[in-house]
Amino acid sequence: MKHIKKIYAFIFFSIIAAILYLFYATSQIQQTLNTNVENIFIKEAQSFAKNINEEMLKHIQHNPYEELKKNPQLQMNMEHAISILVNNSFKYIFVLYRDKNGNYRYLLDGSKEKSHFNQRLSVDKLLWNKVYDTQKPLILNQQKLDSLWITYLKPVIFDKQTKAIIAIDFSTELPQNIYHAIKPLNKIFFYIFIAIGLLILILVYQSIIGMKVKRESITDPLTQTYNRNYLRDLLNHIDITNYQIIMLDIDHFKQINDNYGHKAGDYILAMTAQLMQKEIRENDILIRFGGEEFLIFIKKSSADTHLAYNIAQRVRKTIDSHLFNYENKEISITVSLGITCQPEHFKSASLAIKNADEMLYIAKREGRNKVVATIPNRSATNEMQLKSIDDVKAALDEERVICYFQPIYNTQTEEILKYEALVRIREKDGSITPPLAFLNSIMYTNIYNDLTKKVLESVFKQIKEKKVVISVNLNFSDILNNKIFDLIIDELETHKDLSSWLIIELLEYELIEEISIIQDHLLQIKEYGVKIAIDDFGSGYANYNIFKQLPIDILKIDGSLIRDINTSEASYKITHSIVLLAKEFNITTVAEFVHSQSVLETIKELHIDEAQGFHLAKPSPYI
Amino acid sequence: MKKLLFFLLLAPLLLASDIKTEQKIYTLIIHSLLPQKKEIKVWCDDKAKKELIDSIPKVRYILNPENADFLLLSKNQKIQTKGVKFVTNLKLLEAGKDSVVGGFFWQKGRPNILFLKKNLQKHHIKLPKSMQEYIEEDI
Repeated sequence: MKHIKKIYAFIFFSIIAAILYLFYATSQIQQTLNTNVENIFIKEAQSFAKNINEEMLKHIQHNPYEELKKNPQLQMNMEHAISILVNNSFKYIFVLYRDKNGNYRYLLDGSKEKSHFNQRLSVDKLLWNKVYDTQKPLILNQQKLDSLWITYLKPVIFDKQTKAIIAIDFSTELPQNIYHAIKPLNKIFFYIFIAIGLLILILVYQSIIGMKVKRESITDPLTQTYNRNYLRDLLNHIDITNYQIIMLDIDHFKQINDNYGHKAGDYILAMTAQLMQKEIRENDILIRFGGEEFLIFIKKSSADTHLAYNIAQRVRKTIDSHLFNYENKEISITVSLGITCQPEHFKSASLAIKNADEMLYIAKREGRNKVVATIPNRSATNEMQLKSIDDVKAALDEERVICYFQPIYNTQTEEILKYEALVRIREKDGSITPPLAFLNSIMYTNIYNDLTKKVLESVFKQIKEKKVVISVNLNFSDILNNKIFDLIIDELETHKDLSSWLIIELLEYELIEEISIIQDHLLQIKEYGVKIAIDDFGSGYANYNIFKQLPIDILKIDGSLIRDINTSEASYKITHSIVLLAKEFNITTVAEFVHSQSVLETIKELHIDEAQGFHLAKPSPYI
Repeated sequence: MKKLLFFLLLAPLLLASDIKTEQKIYTLIIHSLLPQKKEIKVWCDDKAKKELIDSIPKVRYILNPENADFLLLSKNQKIQTKGVKFVTNLKLLEAGKDSVVGGFFWQKGRPNILFLKKNLQKHHIKLPKSMQEYIEEDI
């Protein structure tokens, strides 16, 4: 598109340049013709004047006035000789002398419009006197006179004194003929220029209108930031690798609308946008994503890899410390921000934005007025060396992605029933990196798909070798993602005879919008004999609908409930109710985080079917 | 280029330049010859010059030559009047050199003014200094 615009501009300016050149060339032709004609005529006039001068010097001894006055025959002969030179181009040829009063009078006149001897002629005395005094010829451009073009003046010198001036007038016919010949061509160019000028004016006007309309269509009228129309266009041509993405949301914005009215809400939105605009740089892009959500594309700087995080913190602090004054009411707000630091690791810009949105969600869940960058559980990873996508890719290539296995026991018999596979990266120095350090950085990327495939292959290998039941952890989003789902089905198809030994553990899902797709996909998976477990149940927003909607076989009670089961009456009661509910649905229950004998005794007492935790066995690379 | 623009833009004005020159010259001549008159009555035998005469300030074109202060003659005709006679060509000036005070005519493409000294004196006319260079003793 940019190239097309450049080509159009090039063609347009080429046409203008060509016309300008032709216009200039035409005027040059006229000028050159005029100059050449002038030169020809001047040369001819010089030749005529020279001849007349020679004739005068030949027949007159000292004083032309006196001698011609006395000799009318000589005068007649000479005038006759001069008259032969007169034609349409050399209209007037005559000789004047200067009288004692400084007036010019005829000595000889060869013109058709003949004047008497000694008759006075009004001339430009200044210029004629110059010729008289300097004794040098002069070429006069007769711009003030209509019928004359150029006059050539030559002094006639006797005894070193100027006694007369020979004047040869060129008529204006020739230059006018040239002018009339070229006039139509000039007119054409003149009208072309007018047409092009009008066209340019119309184009400029249209462009201004177009730009105005375009600007209005991509600008949010309330906040004067870009809107989603602009974002749609931007995503088509932006090189996302040059940016970091911040998603910002005003905390509890609904309360502002409810408490102070929608106008106050609008005011807060507009002012917040202004504050943000001041904190970001010129080459950063601020977009109102919708409602009270804003998206900021931060242009990356090679010198500062934490640029987006620093800007986000700056924005957060500025807004937090700002007191908004609306109709004498002081309103303070906070904002939460999520950041995608490495959008280049996402399959598309939309997924990178989605990741920033998820980070924002985490920031809100963690108490709001926070900035969360890429890694969701910062407290757990604070002391951890976070892995980039390239690190994970390298680990996959070098076969350093491995599985640890943690046994799950029957609480009554205390026998090992199965294992939970837990992915790890073995570092080159032999140290082990847990999934929290790398899973989030590869989420929504192709590397995540490769990792899932690797884990499933590794699990099936163990099932084949050890003939044990193994569970793997997946997200609901994995089941929804067609690529990952197809990958799972491919693996199950490949290991059809082993698939009944597999359990898929899914993390509890807050809101399942695409429930029918998940239902369908899970049923397809279950056709291979795979069991479905819900992991960490009771940790977040326990959604009892999943009992109704999903084909669940196992419920893994969240570790935080089990950990406190002996110290918190609430944890005990919640766990008890979950167990009762699961029994009603004939669902197997598993207690995680069993870290002591007393906890084990309690879960036995509650009739939880299975248990896992450090008290029973730590994860191990071997089964 | 300059010439082309000059021709394109000023050609129509140039056509009118002779007329303007004539108008200026006649204004100068009439007011120099009759400076004391508040309104100068002008008669002319060439009706084509009516517009030109009307355009001169403090001058009124009249139809009766006998009442005229200034007569502009382009033909040879005998008119008995006290008014100042002025001609538009050299031949008329030569023919009427006993009564005509002067003439304005184009010669060799150049404007020419001539005043005859003795006729100026007859009318007790003293020309301003700027016009005195056009006075001729005889023709």
